Amino acid sequence: MKLDSPPPEIRAELLDDFYAECDEHLANIREALALLEQSIGKAQADLRVLEELFRNFHSFKGISALVGLRPAEELAHAAEDFLRELSRGRATLTISGLELLMSATQKLEQTVAAFRSRTELPENRSVMHALREIAGMESRPKTEASGQETEIETARGDGLVLWKCTFVPSRELDSRGVNVNSVRARLSAAGEILRATPQVLGEGVVAFEFILGTRETPGDIAEWEAGGIKVELLEHSPPPDPGTEMSSAVEPAHSPFIAPSHVVRVDLNKLDDLMRIAGEMVIQRSRFDQQLRTAERSRTPISLESLQEVNNAFGRSLRELRQSLMRVRLVPVAEIFARMPFVVRDLARDSGKEVALKLEGQQTELDKYLIERLKDPLLHLVRNAFSHAVESREERIAAGKPPAATIWLCASSRGDAVLIDVKDDGRGIDAEAVARRAARMGIGVNQPLDSAALLKILCSPGFSTRDDVDRAAGRGVGMAVVYNTVRELGGSITLETEVGKGTKFTLRLPLTLAVSESFIVSCGEQTCAIPQTFVSEVLQVDEQSIRTVNRVEVIPYRSGVLPIVRLSKMFRLPSKAKERNNLLVLSSERGSAGLIVDRIHGQREVVVRAIRDKLVQVPGVIGATELGDGRPVLILDGEVLTSGAIRPHSVETSQAVKRKETHGK
Amino acid sequence: MLFEVEGTTYAVPSNAVRHIEMVEHVTLVPNANPAIDGVVFTRGQVIPALNLRTRFGFNKQASTLRTRIVFVQVRDRLVGLIVDAAREFLRISSDKIKPIEETLTGIQGNYLKSVANLDQRLVLLLDLEQILDVENYQPAPEPVLQKANN
Repeated sequence: MKLDSPPPEIRAELLDDFYAECDEHLANIREALALLEQSIGKAQADLRVLEELFRNFHSFKGISALVGLRPAEELAHAAEDFLRELSRGRATLTISGLELLMSATQKLEQTVAAFRSRTELPENRSVMHALREIAGMESRPKTEASGQETEIETARGDGLVLWKCTFVPSRELDSRGVNVNSVRARLSAAGEILRATPQVLGEGVVAFEFILGTRETPGDIAEWEAGGIKVELLEHSPPPDPGTEMSSAVEPAHSPFIAPSHVVRVDLNKLDDLMRIAGEMVIQRSRFDQQLRTAERSRTPISLESLQEVNNAFGRSLRELRQSLMRVRLVPVAEIFARMPFVVRDLARDSGKEVALKLEGQQTELDKYLIERLKDPLLHLVRNAFSHAVESREERIAAGKPPAATIWLCASSRGDAVLIDVKDDGRGIDAEAVARRAARMGIGVNQPLDSAALLKILCSPGFSTRDDVDRAAGRGVGMAVVYNTVRELGGSITLETEVGKGTKFTLRLPLTLAVSESFIVSCGEQTCAIPQTFVSEVLQVDEQSIRTVNRVEVIPYRSGVLPIVRLSKMFRLPSKAKERNNLLVLSSERGSAGLIVDRIHGQREVVVRAIRDKLVQVPGVIGATELGDGRPVLILDGEVLTSGAIRPHSVETSQAVKRKETHGK
Repeated sequence: MLFEVEGTTYAVPSNAVRHIEMVEHVTLVPNANPAIDGVVFTRGQVIPALNLRTRFGFNKQASTLRTRIVFVQVRDRLVGLIVDAAREFLRISSDKIKPIEETLTGIQGNYLKSVANLDQRLVLLLDLEQILDVENYQPAPEPVLQKANN
């Protein structure tokens, strides 16, 4: 049966588990392959790493078989064979051997992705052949089926008793907790599952057939029938169908975008923490309950102090609970770093440049959601570094640098933020050249041309330093997306570069995504929130003291001036001129500004909800929250407000530059 | 699922419709596309509210008791469509559905997929992806669709 997509009879939950498990196994494989590099050339490769790889490929093979994904099953099987030879010392690990395993892993990933998105599966014959050859096995085209046959016969030869176990899922069994996963677990505990195949019996019924090998007959095998498993001894099975032709799909272009997963692996300690806090809350409540009863019985009111104490205690516990739950979502960045060596290896191979990739701080933890969102931006930054920053061997030698360039990915935690650096020792960014190019393209250039201004240009949509489209780095939209994603996540990017020496991009991401202490302000009907981190002062200013300079309203502040943003203007609301205005002084790394509002309602802790749809992603707004009445309240972006990005001023600048260009000739 | 905007009945696939609510609090988002009334909170998420009256080129109207916001899922996006009234769920057989003629519309963007003729009632089937593609949106100079009603 040729299966390019999951048969509809296979339930969605089974598929969800399958994808989650695939992700886990692929992640483990990648990490292990990185370690295997050290075994190249040794007579006996590191057994523990091989063991880990084998286990993961083996499980991968098993679950692929269950959902009917034959190509993945066979490829994993071929990898297994190779690993077996390596572990027995019958083959030596070479660089090409390791690369082959990496290719196989990539193919598996692509196959699962294609399966999931119902597109054509990638061609994997060549990888399989190569694996088989390197494992010293004959490479005959249609050996998949006989491969499995051999395995079964080998098992028989080893003295295992072979059983054919059939399981047909049903609602009744499901309600008893018996499903294909529990059956598989049960069989694995009893012996080794040599083969697993789904069989569509028609009318939406799928049966799962397992070939199980056991050393001895399990004591309770007779009871398995009651557990929904039909068992019979396996006689010599008839030769299965000859292997099906693989769809001759053109190999998909190097797919950089990985499907996000929604599953987190949680350390038991974190769960213990949660249990402890829950326990404390139970105690707090029972104390309160006690007080209520006493008051009831003795007809005396509960004292205000007791109530406040209870309130405080609950407040504390809730805060702890929220923090612990957030910690559950924290996952080491190793997850995103793990695929980088593959990427760099591919790029290096295709281009002839030599690059070493160094990863640091892999255990630094970040919210799972952030990790998923950062996968593509980091990929882009690494690719960018490779394509634009890294020079060829000759150039580097001529410049007195080591012939191989280095790209670093370093993660570290800094208080309530996580820093991720993407650094290279390449040619650096020539700010002047970039500025000239930007001016030619009509992109506004801020003076002075410091790294912030440079970054702004690089991240402008459509900006590209190459005339030809560079396959690896994309078409000039990449940096803008990186910038927007990081901003959306509540973080920031900074750039450090030196011509001839190298470049460093630093991504700063907040650890606590969810909650922000904010000022609640309003203008007419519109209420907004501003995170307290941006507010340095709250003032009252006379309307009279507001001046207009270069179309920008300012007030004298300290020893200089403070540009003003009116909330009413932002929301295009009619503003009543008032004699005295409420002003919040906002400051950030970008600068300072004063925000004039009608009313300030105070400060509150608000839960930040991201604005995900691009229809409503506008500069100046970083998210939304709700104050208890169901009304969305926008959270303003202090950085944008203080950088002047939403004032007529910046439009002036780029227009002025354009004018200079046309008149200056 | 059928709904009404300025007297005309439109339809979207019912499996795209997540839920329907009355329009309560829509918060304006500054500098968003004019067809976007703002954002709403629903089931813990912040969702854009696209006003179909504006999108189709009609004048905005104050909400009535019949105004609804229909939350539709398009790929991995959830968006709310503000309509004059939500009508019914109906199964329309494919033999009643005809592709739309270019001349009939004259509206910017091809978000009208096809027409269904149900006993003298014309129902216009919408292409949700095109509806959400507001970047190329410009308000039509006059509502041309009224012609279809005659």
